[in-house]
Amino acid sequence: MSSKESCRTELRTAIRQLSDRCLYSASKWAAEQLIGIEQDQAKFTPSNTRFQRGSSSIRRRFCTNEITSTPPTDVAYVSTPVMEEDDAIHGDFYLLAKSYFDCREYRRAAHVLRNQTGKKSVFLRCYALYLAGEKRKEEEMIELDGPLGKSDAINRELVSLERELSTLCKNNMIDPFGLYLYGLVLKEKGNENLACKILVESVNSYPWNWSAWSELQSLCTTLDILNGLNLSNHWMKEFFLASVYQELRMHNESLSKYENLQGTFTFSNYIQAQIAKAQYSIREFDQVEVIFEDLLRNDPYRVEDMDTYSNVLYTKEYFSALSYLAHRVIMTDKYRPESCCIIGNYYSLKGQHEKSVMYFRRALKLNKKYLSAWTLMGHEYVEMKNTPAAVDAYRRAVDINPRDYRAWYGLGQAYEMMGMPHYALHYFQKSVFFQPIDSRLWIAMAQCYESEQLHMLEEAIKCYKRAANCNDTEAIALHRLAELHRKLGHPEEAAFYYKKDLERMEAEEREGPNTVEALTFLATHYKTQKRFEEAEVYCTRLLDYTGPERETAKSLLRGMRIAQSGFPSMDVEHFHP
Amino acid sequence: MAGAVKAPGAFAITPHKVSVCILVHTYASPSQISVPFPFCSVSQHSRLGLYLLALTKSCDDILEPKLDQLINQLREIGGLMDDWLTDHVTSRLSSLSSPDDLFNFFNELRETLGGPDSGVMDDDQVILDPNSNLGMFLRRCILAFNLLTFEGVCHLLTNIGIYCKEAISSSSYERRLDDSGNDLETLSEYENMDLNLVFKKINEEMEARKRATDPITFHLHLPKDLSTLVEDVEIFVDPKSELNDKGRESSSYASGDLLRNVDPDGGVFMRTNWQIQGYLMEQADSIEKHGSSFTLNTFELTLRQLQKLAPEFHRVHFLRYLNNLYHDEYFSALENLHRYFDYSAGTEGFDYVPPAGCNDSGRFEIALLCLGMMQFHFGHPKKALEVLTEAVLVSQQHCNDTCLAYTLAAICNLLSEIGFSTSSGILGSPFSPMTNVGTSLSVQQQLFVLLKGSLKRAESLKLKQLIAANHLAMAKFDLTHVQRPLLSFGPKTSMKLRTCPIIVCKELRSGYLLISDFCCEGSTMTTDGAFSTAWLKNLQNPMGSLVMSQDNGSRNNSNPFLFFTQPSSIPGSVLQLVGSSYLHRATAWEMYGSAPLARVNALVYVTCFADASSSSDAALVHVKLIQHLAVFKGYKEAFAALKIAEEKFLCASKSRILILKLQLLHERALHRGHLKLAQQVCDELGVLASSVTAVDLELKTEASLRHSRTLLAAKQFSQAAAVAHSLFCMCYKFNLQVESAAILLLLAEIHMKSGNAVVGLPYALASLSYCQSFNLDLLRASATLTLAELWLSLGSNHTKTALTLLHGAFPMILGHGGLELCARAYITEAKCYLSDPSFSVSDNPELVLDPLRQAADELQALEYHELMAEAFYLMAIVHDKLGQLEQREEAASLFKNHVMAIDHPHDVDDPILS
Repeated sequence: MSSKESCRTELRTAIRQLSDRCLYSASKWAAEQLIGIEQDQAKFTPSNTRFQRGSSSIRRRFCTNEITSTPPTDVAYVSTPVMEEDDAIHGDFYLLAKSYFDCREYRRAAHVLRNQTGKKSVFLRCYALYLAGEKRKEEEMIELDGPLGKSDAINRELVSLERELSTLCKNNMIDPFGLYLYGLVLKEKGNENLACKILVESVNSYPWNWSAWSELQSLCTTLDILNGLNLSNHWMKEFFLASVYQELRMHNESLSKYENLQGTFTFSNYIQAQIAKAQYSIREFDQVEVIFEDLLRNDPYRVEDMDTYSNVLYTKEYFSALSYLAHRVIMTDKYRPESCCIIGNYYSLKGQHEKSVMYFRRALKLNKKYLSAWTLMGHEYVEMKNTPAAVDAYRRAVDINPRDYRAWYGLGQAYEMMGMPHYALHYFQKSVFFQPIDSRLWIAMAQCYESEQLHMLEEAIKCYKRAANCNDTEAIALHRLAELHRKLGHPEEAAFYYKKDLERMEAEEREGPNTVEALTFLATHYKTQKRFEEAEVYCTRLLDYTGPERETAKSLLRGMRIAQSGFPSMDVEHFHP
Repeated sequence: MAGAVKAPGAFAITPHKVSVCILVHTYASPSQISVPFPFCSVSQHSRLGLYLLALTKSCDDILEPKLDQLINQLREIGGLMDDWLTDHVTSRLSSLSSPDDLFNFFNELRETLGGPDSGVMDDDQVILDPNSNLGMFLRRCILAFNLLTFEGVCHLLTNIGIYCKEAISSSSYERRLDDSGNDLETLSEYENMDLNLVFKKINEEMEARKRATDPITFHLHLPKDLSTLVEDVEIFVDPKSELNDKGRESSSYASGDLLRNVDPDGGVFMRTNWQIQGYLMEQADSIEKHGSSFTLNTFELTLRQLQKLAPEFHRVHFLRYLNNLYHDEYFSALENLHRYFDYSAGTEGFDYVPPAGCNDSGRFEIALLCLGMMQFHFGHPKKALEVLTEAVLVSQQHCNDTCLAYTLAAICNLLSEIGFSTSSGILGSPFSPMTNVGTSLSVQQQLFVLLKGSLKRAESLKLKQLIAANHLAMAKFDLTHVQRPLLSFGPKTSMKLRTCPIIVCKELRSGYLLISDFCCEGSTMTTDGAFSTAWLKNLQNPMGSLVMSQDNGSRNNSNPFLFFTQPSSIPGSVLQLVGSSYLHRATAWEMYGSAPLARVNALVYVTCFADASSSSDAALVHVKLIQHLAVFKGYKEAFAALKIAEEKFLCASKSRILILKLQLLHERALHRGHLKLAQQVCDELGVLASSVTAVDLELKTEASLRHSRTLLAAKQFSQAAAVAHSLFCMCYKFNLQVESAAILLLLAEIHMKSGNAVVGLPYALASLSYCQSFNLDLLRASATLTLAELWLSLGSNHTKTALTLLHGAFPMILGHGGLELCARAYITEAKCYLSDPSFSVSDNPELVLDPLRQAADELQALEYHELMAEAFYLMAIVHDKLGQLEQREEAASLFKNHVMAIDHPHDVDDPILS
């Protein structure tokens, strides 16, 4: 990573160039990062750091290792290139076109630039045409929506754009922005390999265009593709890698990348949000909550990523916080899928599932490929006992992203609810395949095997073992393991797991019927093993509880004393009053 | 979207439908006399009507034809007036240039339809009955148009433009038109549908206003340039139709794909739901029929396209599952099966009638049923059984009796197929579907109970096909199992300890009596669709002009057989059932020992049901016929036939054809005395029967039977006996009674050959009694023969007994036995005479020589050296006794040849072996 100052200069130039080409979201992103760079103490003025105020002690709390700001020695080999500028008259046309573009009159903008040959003008014309096509496409999508969901609305500009851009590319008359657009068009046309190549070329020659990176990221569906990319080193690449790792569910790698980046971009909201999402994926909900609170304090009108926050609030059952969040986002922007999703979550928490489904539907209307909304809607349908609808919703989620283990899990659950454990197994297997570290999935699968219909206890034990190995927070696995082993007549294993379960309960200071059961079994077990000392310990502990077990413990103790004192144990009866 | 009500039939108005409407309008233009203007004869007129009917019903593709395809077909049916028709359609289409034109067009269409009082119309007048097929079509089109939003109308207009443009650019209209300024050119410049077009439209509108003063109305004018083209239309269309023929020749599926992949974007429209359903059904049938020879990828392409066009049309996933299933793609089959049922909840596509009080919780039991059958198909019987058991439970829960009946039938099928090797613990589990039976029964008995129950259930539900299938299964069971009274059936059941051909035949017959019911019932949809499809395919040979089309050079590619493959009105699945009842009969007669009847039944199957049969059934019948050839005509012919069969059926890893080949090779090797080869082939058979994919008990039995026979041929008697013995124990354990009879006979032979005739006798007798109770007449005859041989080898004082036995079995052996059996019988007869002390050769030499000669002749085809050597040896002795030295020398030298052949098996020069 280069120094903060050089990052800053690079970004400043890039923002100007990007917004000059109407690549607004990329320039927004760059500007966010620019502000995110920590100010030098020397230039510290209150107005400069307004955005960074509240830079929190809270956040620091979770930065366990102080990030050293001597990151890897990737030298930024590209200095911000000076892009060619068109001459004055052409520049005037460009200005007009840009104004049209800014007013979202894309075709007009393209028309103004029809005879311009400068790279910048060509790019803007093509980009405007592309957007015009996209806009029309979206309109057509609604117009053509038939009962069979015919979705063949296409961007009608793609063909001609591809033709033009490929000619330009062949003649080497294309700049990185043109390449980005070309890549985008290729991707839409389904030519993903070439799209990858072109996008790599684009980001290698102009790395500050985050849109290009994110297009590239969406093409990296496997690690192999990622490793096959020939990317030059630049600090932007770190952002890219972090984001790809996150998509590929390599959360820890992603986290460490982001934490590294935070060394330079200390106050970047983007990085913060991404860290929160990664933490969410590894189920560190407390941290996620803190980060989002912080984020909202700095950026109160933020809607992006807030659905993750609402998920956390949902899990923690913070009713009022969730409602507050929902209120806030709806005031900011009602018609964002995230907003609808948050409200859906709120209603779900309140147990009003019909309303919840309505909002998830709205979210899906706004974005058909909104993965988590499909899954959450599936959950709602499950709550409403409408299993076929739930299955349908989950299946759609799975077809959008086959790696979504939650939806696979949901499918499994739905089928299990319908009394089809064998059928459900298929889905649970899929689910654990994609997320082998989640104990809940293993437990669900084990319960399937355990069910009365299947009664495949050996397999159930295997699953519970896996569950116990991956941090089973609800501590179901150990207890079930012990019970199953006891049922199958494996006293040694049963004792082992009872003991473990007991230790665990002690550590968590829980008590309950399970404790009594474990103590009783252990006491009896050790007695039959003739390990009287251990047995005595457990018996004594049992005496603390009321109920029949206490009596059992008493008689056990008595029996042992007699056995130790040399009397035949069968005499116990006689001594009984 | 999830949970939303899915619209049953989407009927969207498309350019193709507009052109059909134009044609319908022409066909039934109002206020005309009986033969409207462009038509010269009534037959021409009705031909167009038929064609239009076929167009709206055929299901040979998922996409609507493009304009040029339509024009080509019109040319074929139109005869003299085709030019007029095509021009009419194209000009009419191209005259639709503004939304308003469309509105007017559909208004005009409405006039074509007769009103509700159309009954009182004049007879001469052509008017479309609104309730006829075409009338309904027209009404649906009009309705669909009226439902369109303005945007929808605009889209339709754009699409008509593309539709016309494609037709033009694909033929060579364009070249001729490029200097004219009419509408068609506008369309060819459609690419930039921006300002240009708008200006043009405005111009046109203004022109039209000017023209409105003219006598010809704007909307109906025929472009001048087009009408001048009429004369030479013929020239540039011929190559096109030739291309079409080629496409058809290669494969009827491929032709569609070739055309449609040209342009993935515009102008692709699905046919109606009804047509697509029909298409998919046809495809499903042909997947099953052709098995793995059905091309995986071509169809996959079609499916992918269909999915893109109609993502909510979930049947696609099911077809994909079928396609993968028959190509042994386990994982994608599994994935698609699950996907289909996730989306459809089992309520789409299946022709099921929701029972009263049907809840909306989906029909996931069907998913389980399918999954179970899939697992079975892939050779996981245990898993399949688990799934099917779950299916039983779920169907009971949801009160889906139909599914329950089918599931039970599937379980029966599974149980009878996997043999009973995995018997323990599958049905005995507490959730067994027939809990009342208890677990003390053997698997066969459980199967029997299941079969009975399933049959009863199917009968009460009136599921005819299932009843038929159950009857078949029952017949199969009766064929191979002795019925013992079951305890749970009460003490009153009569004791019947034998199977009876009459029962089997009755079962078979009651199965296919159903066919008469199907004629009236059936699903009209598929038959209608199939008729229309076939009609359209036959376009190029119009009625009765078969000869003419052959004269025409470019058209004689058409398959004359198409004429005969017009679908019958009986659904394919019924035909398949009836066909398989013939197969069962063939098998039954094979076992009962009537070779001609077995052959006749197999031949009936091949000739009558080959079209409807599944690939595995077809392979089976070939196997039967080839086996018949081998036994009665020798190996040469059998191998020749095998070669043909191998070409016809892809030699998959475990196909019946492969097994047959190994069997034949083994037999021949044994006869020729190539013991090493025999052992090798035998081992291969054993591998096929191994338990990697579920144990095939039948095959396993056969493999070890052959192993034992190989050992016997190698004169390793004790080992052969040991193998046969353990095999018998296995068969006894699993109640394979028919096989037991054969094994007992083999044991008798082993003991006889090892010189222990006394030990052999009880085995032969036991085998005889088995044969008797199963009516296995041919096997019984050969057991009798063995018994005679045993008596004979006990000493010369038993020849009388032997001869009596032999003569008793002769009618059966000579009538139905194969070459080997007959030869053996002849030789034994000769030996009996020769060893009879009261018989003198010189008195009656022909009595001995004749059977020996017969035997030698018959053995020639089998190349059975050992027996032939024996025959010639005996001949030589007889000739010696008669003093015929020359003949003696001849027989002796032949004897020597054959003995040499056994000892030095010269290398095999077989193409089959490689």
